[in-house]
Amino acid sequence: MTTESTIIRLVIGALMIGSVYAVMGMSYSLIYKATGLMNLAQGDFLMLGAFVGLTFYKTLGLNIVLSFILTFIVMFALGYVVQRYLITSLLNKGASFSFIILCTSALSLAFQNGSQIIWSPYTLPFPAIFDTGAVDIFGAKVAPENLLVLFIAAFGAIGLFLFINKTKLGTAMRASALDQTAASSVGINVQLTKGITWGLSAGLAGVVGMALGPVYGVYSTMGAMIAQKAFAGAVTGGYGNIYGAVIGGLFYGFMETFVSAYLTTTYKDAITFAMLIIILAISPTGLFKEKVIE
Amino acid sequence: MKAFISKNKWTLLLLIAATALMLVLAQKTYYALIIALFGIYAIVATSLDVLFGYTGQISLGHAGLFAIGAYSSALLTIKFGVPSLLSLVLGSAITALIGALIAIPASKLVKHFLSLLMIAFGQIIYLIINSWTEVTGGSLGIMNIPYLNVFGFEVNSNLKGAIVIWVILAIVLLVKHRIIRSRVGNAFIAIRENTVAARGLGIDVQKYKVLAFAVSAAMTGLAGGLYAFLRGFISPETFNGTQSVLFMTMLLFGGITTLAGPVIGAIVLLLFKEVFQTFSTYQGLIYALFMLLVLFFFPNGIIGLYKSGKTAVMKLLSKRAEATRNGGAENAEN
Repeated sequence: MTTESTIIRLVIGALMIGSVYAVMGMSYSLIYKATGLMNLAQGDFLMLGAFVGLTFYKTLGLNIVLSFILTFIVMFALGYVVQRYLITSLLNKGASFSFIILCTSALSLAFQNGSQIIWSPYTLPFPAIFDTGAVDIFGAKVAPENLLVLFIAAFGAIGLFLFINKTKLGTAMRASALDQTAASSVGINVQLTKGITWGLSAGLAGVVGMALGPVYGVYSTMGAMIAQKAFAGAVTGGYGNIYGAVIGGLFYGFMETFVSAYLTTTYKDAITFAMLIIILAISPTGLFKEKVIE
Repeated sequence: MKAFISKNKWTLLLLIAATALMLVLAQKTYYALIIALFGIYAIVATSLDVLFGYTGQISLGHAGLFAIGAYSSALLTIKFGVPSLLSLVLGSAITALIGALIAIPASKLVKHFLSLLMIAFGQIIYLIINSWTEVTGGSLGIMNIPYLNVFGFEVNSNLKGAIVIWVILAIVLLVKHRIIRSRVGNAFIAIRENTVAARGLGIDVQKYKVLAFAVSAAMTGLAGGLYAFLRGFISPETFNGTQSVLFMTMLLFGGITTLAGPVIGAIVLLLFKEVFQTFSTYQGLIYALFMLLVLFFFPNGIIGLYKSGKTAVMKLLSKRAEATRNGGAENAEN
């Protein structure tokens, strides 16, 4: 393999994982903008999506497109239920933000352990989606499943962007994020839009998780690390800013891929987290200057 | 002193009874180990209470600080031949220093970012002890850590370990009590209640947050060192991210901002872990359930339940007393 094709392969790999971080970062930002909260179980939505998708595609033998759609619906419902019935009732009890964070971290534990019990504590293989072998892109051989991840992530990101900016419900979501009282006074059901926000971010994470299945295999902790790096990306870009999340996510995708190719694989995750800590220390508002300091 | 004893006679009696019971149980080396571990985790939960309960700073990365205490104490003794007691103290000091360093960015952040910063911190420490094989032994960990030697008293059995650890726990609780009752403690509480108002009162918010982190880290590092010397063996799996959540669950379950709460929480959760070992596949679910139960139904933990139960009983009793008194008065009128 020539150096050129190696670099192309690395770039495609970086784009793939970077786009995953970007979508996950967007889902963090979406929740943060709409409800001012943080969901530590976001990565576990991704993981559950992979397991649910595997069940539809492999166990039930459904068509791949149908499996993706059903996974989105199931994960949307789960996200919606978590927000409406757990988070809201906790908020109504007057719980502080710390307690919400702890609640989502408990959920994360429960989801990870639950998936081990329901499906498997080991890595489950996800069957290949395409019959064709590796695709040739400028001399680099790339598995079509990797391209599918990129496609799904890009599709999700653009879809989310259009939904927020061009639809009525998206406008309602932005309105309730800006000012709840004003939004409800013009007839927006604020609680419903919050539930939908969580549903959307969970559904998006789930679909991305399912797309990642054939690449990494499906296992109970597959989402945790991805979500933490996506968070790093969202912070670097400017937390709460959708564009920032995309740029930050891609940045970490490239950094991680090239660091592990040319420097060290052992410490690539440590480097990402160290970057996060440095950025939080130096410029916690990120590229797009979002407010994170009290 | 007399007034203190008569006021807290039931608590003191209970303490004495519990100590006696533990000493009897600790004759068996397995029970002694569990009792020693109670003490270690109680110290960690207590340290989290200083940070989260009083100062309002959330940390889901305390397993990283626990690891720093354990590894630095063990390595100082093994690689540099430092006396074990001194390396325990130094390990605690190193952890406090690192805690203070991470607190400098952490003290500026709001809760969401703080929690992820601490998660990232815990992850880095975990990755380092897992990967830096030449120093930390990688995933195999460090074996053959010598016994702790307290001024010639060699802690070479679990029973001796349990006694030493519980004495240290008592000292830690005393220190916590003194800190909380001091100006520093008042500053912590002010920061938790309202950061802006605290700043308005002239409290150097960042300084006190860093101080809270350092105190908490020192205690956790001490517990980590004790763990290393007690077990004689440490490996990365003891210090993963789930452990951080477990520490937080212990504190919440016992009840924040109390002396006994973190201790009780640590004992209950660890007991649960030992008794239900056969259900270890469900461990994550069980912890999650504990945490959700606390968050939804008794946010002040077991101690809070006990207190509200006590007030309810007192109210009932005083009502009844009043009723009899009133009834008595009516009878007298007749």
